[in-house]
Amino acid sequence: MPEIRKLSLSERLGTVAYRNQGRSTARAHIEVDTTICNSRCPHQCTTYVCPANCYTIDDQGLVHFQFEDCIECGTCLYACDQGAVTWRYPDPEAGRGVNWQLG
Amino acid sequence: MEDRFDCIIVGGGIAGLSAAMILARAEARFLLVERGEFCGAKNVSGGVLWGTDLARLVPEYWEDDTAFERFVNHRRLTLMDASSAFSLDFKSADFGVEPFMGITVLRARFDAWLAAKVQEAINAGANAEESLLATDILVDEILVEGGRVTGIRTGAESFHADCVIIAEGVNNLLTRQLGIEPAYVPADHVAVGVKEVIRIDEKRLADRFQLSGNSGLTNEFVGFASQGVEGGGFLYTNRDSISIGLVLAMADLREKRRKPYDLLNEFKSHPAVADMLAGGEVLEYSAHVVSTGNVDAVPSKLFGDGVLIAGEAAHLLLNSGKAIQGMDYAMRSGMLAAGTVLSARERGDYSREFLSAYQQAIEDSYLMKDMRGFHDAVGVFHSPTMYEKLPAILCDFGRQYFGIRNEPTRHAREMLLASVKKHASIWELAKLGYRASRSL
Repeated sequence: MPEIRKLSLSERLGTVAYRNQGRSTARAHIEVDTTICNSRCPHQCTTYVCPANCYTIDDQGLVHFQFEDCIECGTCLYACDQGAVTWRYPDPEAGRGVNWQLG
Repeated sequence: MEDRFDCIIVGGGIAGLSAAMILARAEARFLLVERGEFCGAKNVSGGVLWGTDLARLVPEYWEDDTAFERFVNHRRLTLMDASSAFSLDFKSADFGVEPFMGITVLRARFDAWLAAKVQEAINAGANAEESLLATDILVDEILVEGGRVTGIRTGAESFHADCVIIAEGVNNLLTRQLGIEPAYVPADHVAVGVKEVIRIDEKRLADRFQLSGNSGLTNEFVGFASQGVEGGGFLYTNRDSISIGLVLAMADLREKRRKPYDLLNEFKSHPAVADMLAGGEVLEYSAHVVSTGNVDAVPSKLFGDGVLIAGEAAHLLLNSGKAIQGMDYAMRSGMLAAGTVLSARERGDYSREFLSAYQQAIEDSYLMKDMRGFHDAVGVFHSPTMYEKLPAILCDFGRQYFGIRNEPTRHAREMLLASVKKHASIWELAKLGYRASRSL
């Protein structure tokens, strides 16, 4: 049986083309009120359901959000039922977001 | 160019482009706006466009080598446990005849190709200068005046039209802005798809999957594929690659606290799957939310004054167990929306009363007939008996039945009974069989 190497998420995201990759700054298209995640959310589910791991959890158990790797799938828009996620589409000029080559 | 269009289409995916094609042919003046760098740049799908509607939209599309990846003449449904795979397999030369009943596509290529065809249709018409496909434009707001939709706003610019077709996809922010969909859509109504496109040399792919010419295989998987999470896997052959992925019910993924990319690794490592992927190189990882195909998720009204909602923005998608039909649903609904717009243009009436004909057309078409008709099938396929126990039973049975051991052998019926008892109860299976036989 052939050995199928388990790809890490960063290897996977390395295959994704993003918009405005050369820009040093980009405008965030998703805003997360992490005070909700870190005070009253019973599941902090975005830290595991997000396919791009944009939501991470630190040693203290606190949720952090980074939009840069976001592939605009929409998962957190539904998975978060606590009202912490404000989701928009990235601005074509000033934002980030994906540029699928295959899709 | 006139200030005012007959129609503005939001979204250059399959629903939007299909609507655009119909409008272009009728020489209507329209603006299609797409937020991606090109049509398809933001779009992901598992990869099969089912049915024959594309042949209506682009006659003899198969003459164009670049239109699609492969036509589907071979289908397989695989039920798997950790070590085994039990398949129902069907291959037919009858499916190798145009118009094909399914083609595999990669959306960044397919949508761009379809957009080029729409542009050709615009150019061939009398109003070639007055219609356009505009990319890199994000719609911030649907303009509403006195209760009717009058156009779109993008940044500081506004564009006006007699009506707007919203074909923005499943993450339907504009549809929500209009109140056609509630602001928060619960996780129960969607799943998340994760996928990789894996390159395999064309010759090797053809040998490995017994393909000839442009023929292709589609393989769906239930059981081990999703590791106990409600959902399943898929593998589709492209020209010189494979699309492989999982579709996972959002609420259950949240409940089971699993990471979709970890599950994809497990699925790819299954012995039966690993054999199919050997030597491949991952070209692109992708993910997207997908509607579950539950008819209850479809908004009660798909129209308003001066506005129509098409494609997955309206949660139009069928998951009957035979296939996930999202792209053909997008195509047909886009065509029907454009047809309604053309009638409205003729009558000069874009009121909600007149545009309600769109909803009726959707109801009368296979779209809603099948979504309603196979509503129960969604329940069957989403039951743990189906995606966990049945695969376990069949694989257990397969190991007995297909394993020859040079010792006295039990009859198949006894083997099956033993396998059923090991993983479930006869009663449970009888219930599933009854529900399945009625719903599928």
